[in-house]
Amino acid sequence: MTRKLLTGNEALALGALHAGIRVAAGYPGTPSTGALEHLLAVAPPEVHVEWSVNEKVALEIAAGAAWAGQRALCTMKMSGLNVASDSLYSVAYSGVVGGLVVYVADDPGVSAGMCEQDSRGFALLADLPLLDPPSVPDAYRLTRLAFDLSEAVGTPVLVRLTTAIAHSSAPVEVGEPLGLPPREPQLLRDIARFTKAGAAICMQQHRDLIARLERAGEWIREAGLNIIALGHRGGLGIIAGGVPVSYLDEGLQFLAPYGLDPEAVSVLRVLAPHPFPDQEVRRLLEHVGVVLVLEELEPHLERSVYVAAQQAGFAGRIVGKLDGTLPRVGEYDVRHVVQGIAKALGLALPADLFTADEGPERLAAPRPITVCPGCPHRGTFIALQRAIRRSGYRRDQVMVTGDIGCTILGMNPPFEVVWNEVAMGASIGLAQGYVHAGVQTPVIATIGDSTFFHAGIPALINAVQYEVPLTVIVMDNGWTAMTGMQFNPGTDAALQPSGNRRVDLARLIPALGVDHFFEVDPFDLDGTTAVIQRALTLPGVKVILARQECAIQAGRRGLRAGRVQVVPEHCNLCRVCILQTGCPAIELGTEAIHIDPALCYGCGLCAQVCQRGAILRAERTFSETGRG
Amino acid sequence: MYDVYLIGVGGQGLLTIGEVLAEAATRLGMPVHLYPYKGMAQRGGLVRAQLRLGREAAGPNIPPRGADLVLAMEVSEALRAVRFLKPGGEFLLYGEQWLPTAVMLGKAPYPSLEAVLDAVRTAGGHPLYLPPDGCPVDEGGPLPANIYVLGAAVGRTRLGGYIPPEAVEEVLRGWRAAERNLAAFRAGLAAKP
Repeated sequence: MTRKLLTGNEALALGALHAGIRVAAGYPGTPSTGALEHLLAVAPPEVHVEWSVNEKVALEIAAGAAWAGQRALCTMKMSGLNVASDSLYSVAYSGVVGGLVVYVADDPGVSAGMCEQDSRGFALLADLPLLDPPSVPDAYRLTRLAFDLSEAVGTPVLVRLTTAIAHSSAPVEVGEPLGLPPREPQLLRDIARFTKAGAAICMQQHRDLIARLERAGEWIREAGLNIIALGHRGGLGIIAGGVPVSYLDEGLQFLAPYGLDPEAVSVLRVLAPHPFPDQEVRRLLEHVGVVLVLEELEPHLERSVYVAAQQAGFAGRIVGKLDGTLPRVGEYDVRHVVQGIAKALGLALPADLFTADEGPERLAAPRPITVCPGCPHRGTFIALQRAIRRSGYRRDQVMVTGDIGCTILGMNPPFEVVWNEVAMGASIGLAQGYVHAGVQTPVIATIGDSTFFHAGIPALINAVQYEVPLTVIVMDNGWTAMTGMQFNPGTDAALQPSGNRRVDLARLIPALGVDHFFEVDPFDLDGTTAVIQRALTLPGVKVILARQECAIQAGRRGLRAGRVQVVPEHCNLCRVCILQTGCPAIELGTEAIHIDPALCYGCGLCAQVCQRGAILRAERTFSETGRG
Repeated sequence: MYDVYLIGVGGQGLLTIGEVLAEAATRLGMPVHLYPYKGMAQRGGLVRAQLRLGREAAGPNIPPRGADLVLAMEVSEALRAVRFLKPGGEFLLYGEQWLPTAVMLGKAPYPSLEAVLDAVRTAGGHPLYLPPDGCPVDEGGPLPANIYVLGAAVGRTRLGGYIPPEAVEEVLRGWRAAERNLAAFRAGLAAKP
């Protein structure tokens, strides 16, 4: 055992590695990304680790490896589980041979701008066991165990973290790798198990699935994953799952001065919420007079506690979300523990216990985020604004659907061209719906490269098949950028792990049969504007590939797009450069604007919007490295 | 038990402060939990982190009025952390200003330093102000401001009673630019906020 400071994602990755995985596949998504990134950094060469094109493909790869008898890990955020769910639901029916663990990260409090989906609900839907580590060390320990559970029962196992565990760091006692002997791959031909050939087979698989879940419950009980500690008979019983478990001690200490006797409290810490720990909950219900259920997001445990209470004839109160005491939205902290206990026991607490003056926060300057200095999307958004205007439309007359990733920043000032955000690849489908709805003005879809690979391609094929007149702008910066720069199929092969091949969007998109295909350089504002304007007048499916590498990634290799220089005597502080580009590298000086050389990438967009020749752009010199 | 709330903007190296403290605590054998908020953080975006020292089972979030120390690296963002300060707690403010575009264009107000310090006093806290021009400069340019601020926090607040300077220096010595970071840290230790 060695004690190491690890993030929850790293701990989970190491747990899987030490359990002997042979394959790991995932798709980047905050807050899950760090797990596979850690494996890419530390896994030995005999372990295949990959960023797959989307979560469904990743799950199928991991499942294939597990069917061949190897241990495999699949990683994704909660939105990705929805994408992978079709295959996962089906794999659950078949079960697995080697251990298959699916890591899904939920995001209560929405640090990454998506939904507060509670993936424990998927475990319920798919009849799969789910482990819910409440701390960083538990992420390591339970992930290791999840592989044993998976193989003991023959089922995929879900391990769920939330942002507060996935991103947090804490010391972890890291054990030795399991030292699993290398396994020869097996080829099992078993139609009754690995196909869905007919109702009889499918219903037998369903029975087997339910039986496996039952056995998983027994395994979890024997492993003692759900921990019960009984206090005085007839007192308070707390059933806690997920991160709220980590606030219990703090809450009990907090309430000691207000008349709480910690000895009177019984606690059930639920680390494996599905299948529901029926026996432990019943034991608690037989012992206590009132129950408090603590869990973030949906009342999954709590609903099952009501059922157990009915079955056990429990007559006491159940405090939680369903009686309105605790919220279903946002992260929990010690306040929720304190409020819940106070409600359950009728403790009188000072009203202002946690109430702080929110006045100071209201004085803070708003800080909307925009694209980075040198971001090629800036050029595309400005060109899009101009093309709409020059085509004779107002901005509120042209639907521009948006997609997931950095490209969604087109909704923010100063661009404000993008209207909506749904899910990976959804921009192209939504756009077709607007056309079919009878919208007479041009409809435009905007989507990033990785998002297009992930789920945009089928939607574009659909538009081609039905000859839907629309313009798709694929904003290709060569990286999956928003999640922290992962490579994707379109990334330069030299910048991917060796042996990978690049899939060139400039060859792929025309091959889909689109009516018009254009490639533009988003740092060339006039050229990009003219192409978008032209596309808006053409019939059929038009795709514009706006291609320029992410400035952050290019900058890390010492590349710059060029150099710009302010001519102070020409600058009249009209602020057009700041208003139109919103570039964080431009500052307002007293005599002239100032461009921070440490931030500037030399994209030259400011020089192109300046009408007074106050910003000069040197020839773009991509071969130039590390200058300036 | 000692809770630290850190706040600033992307690009200042705020999260690194938390990581150094968490690593130092781990090497001291002290329980520690560091919860960074980085969501879509990028240069100029809001960044915060919560560091909880000395709790065997530490929940990630510090409740309002719970932090023994707030460490703020940007004047306006500091206001968002005032409500997390425990009455009687210390509030170390490094006075850097990152003006959002709307402020630069004169379309939005920006709070005065005095307003921030007043808010800290009203919340029952002890403000410690660290001027941004105090960070030393050597032939390679300004020393890393985040490590300078870390030095001031360890040297001038009760944090030093939990994480002594030597423990931080041991972590910094393992870094690539160890000498410059150690110089920044020591300058911070000696700073007089």
